Amino acid sequence: MVVAPLGICWAAALAFAALDGRRKRIGWAASSVLAIAWLISIWLTWDVVQHGPRTMVAGDWEPGIGIVLRLDALGALFATLSLGVLLAALLFEVFGGVRSRSFPALVLFLATGLCGLFLTADIFNFYVFFEISMIAAYVLVGYGEERRNFRASAIFAIVNLLGSVFFLIGIAAIYHLTGRLDMDAVAQRATIAGQAPALLAATIIFVAFSIKLGLFPFHFWLASVYTGTRPAVAAILSGALANIGSYGLIRFGGGLLPRELESATPVLLIIGSLSILYGGVQAISRRSISQVLAYSSIGQVGYILLALAIGPKAGFSAVILISVLNALNKTLLFLSENLRGRLVAGAFVIGALSVAGIPPTAGFLSKAALIKGAIDADYAWIVVLVVVGGFLSVFYMMQIYQRTFWIPETEEEAHHPPSPLDRRILVALLALLILAIGIWPQPLLALSDHAAAALTGGGR
Amino acid sequence: MILAFSAGIGILFMAGSYLLMKHDLIRVVAGVVLISNAANLFIMAAALTRGRAPILPLANKLDVSDPVVQAMTLTAIVISFGVSALLLAIVYRVYLSHRTVDIDQLGDVESRQVEQEERTDLQDEPELPADLETGEVRA
Repeated sequence: MVVAPLGICWAAALAFAALDGRRKRIGWAASSVLAIAWLISIWLTWDVVQHGPRTMVAGDWEPGIGIVLRLDALGALFATLSLGVLLAALLFEVFGGVRSRSFPALVLFLATGLCGLFLTADIFNFYVFFEISMIAAYVLVGYGEERRNFRASAIFAIVNLLGSVFFLIGIAAIYHLTGRLDMDAVAQRATIAGQAPALLAATIIFVAFSIKLGLFPFHFWLASVYTGTRPAVAAILSGALANIGSYGLIRFGGGLLPRELESATPVLLIIGSLSILYGGVQAISRRSISQVLAYSSIGQVGYILLALAIGPKAGFSAVILISVLNALNKTLLFLSENLRGRLVAGAFVIGALSVAGIPPTAGFLSKAALIKGAIDADYAWIVVLVVVGGFLSVFYMMQIYQRTFWIPETEEEAHHPPSPLDRRILVALLALLILAIGIWPQPLLALSDHAAAALTGGGR
Repeated sequence: MILAFSAGIGILFMAGSYLLMKHDLIRVVAGVVLISNAANLFIMAAALTRGRAPILPLANKLDVSDPVVQAMTLTAIVISFGVSALLLAIVYRVYLSHRTVDIDQLGDVESRQVEQEERTDLQDEPELPADLETGEVRA
């Protein structure tokens, strides 16, 4: 049962690869398969929270020899989030007409890779699923098949391939240090490994995930890729694929190498703060909506790093909250990028307020969790930084809102007739979800606490 | 042996990084291939042990070589091979649509497009009452 979403997506991806995804019926079929996988992963999340993690050894081998798959609350939450984002993006394209035959199959391959990645308890297997997701993503970035899409695809593939190579080197270094690949044994043995080599391995892995997330010194590829690709793919990149980076940072940093993470606290704080300020200032200086959103992504992941630096007690559940809510916000904003109409304008405002962290939207929760954690850990200046970052994001989000949606009614209708109703409803539903989480936050708060506890060993 | 491995990995990585700086996308791809092969060699170097082939049943459990390293390297080689092929395909599509693989020329196309976008954005923008303006300088 644990592998059901993975298996369903994989089998469906193989089947849909042979079919013409441009046809409406095929698109609907792919969406419903993905929806089934998503519903199963929601159920699995609920089950894991109630009854604790589920473990399975592939091929009935003894544990220690076979590859271990383990679903805990952290993995289940991220799997559900990513599948949901992929489903929204796929539906968005199906509503408007899919442009290339391979699109539904590629989304399903990406879903396969992501499900496996959040499920595995083996670091080399993590790399394999990481590559499966990335390969699907390289092709997806070129979706649309215009000149700019291909340029974006080439940049994305070259830079992220280097990131994957770094990750592979990090995995080999960890194997050299600990002699094991399953995460439990690695976590145990890493504590007795030498400090300096373990720190080196941790740094290499940190760089790999930072490239994926687009943190400040590794952000150079992000803006041109996010603007060069189509809105649905940009939503996938920032809502589903970036989860690899945040999940990887918290799983490897918080779960496997906590000692190294702690010793890197000053670096995390510096890089996180620089990301927030750089992303915010760059976003203000841009005019086109996709550029602003791309730089805003760089700023928002900075918060993840700050929360990671605060430490396991209050920080880890804040990391999870920030990643989940950022993924939802960015999916909503990228999808509504090219749409027009009142419904979309309302949805966009909710997304914008959520990025800025203003109640009653869900973004407030993540900022509140970060501020609370910072006060508990005696980092008063983080509070100031979060408020400054919030001001920057209100400023740039309202700037694009004003330019795009806040224009006189008659002229808007003359220039941009409202977009298709089904797309607008999809975006509005996403906005409602963000609003609902903001008004009734208990389930997500409990879930993120549970996931953080699973990571530090309390939830087993 | 350690020296040979480190020298080999170092030279591969160095040559790969050098090619990455080039302005020709094909050379960049070659650089990526070299660097991923340096990583494969690194896995071997990280934990390679000498010994008998690890096939059950084992007579003596102590003198077998570590099979995990070889399995990892083999997987990594297959993945990097596949990804390199995909990367070449992407570069080929870039060539088909732009008729060039020179990074400078591609960058020119990119910046022209961005510039054009910002300009149409300006034209699209209707006149707003002065108090709603955020004080941007108009080109």
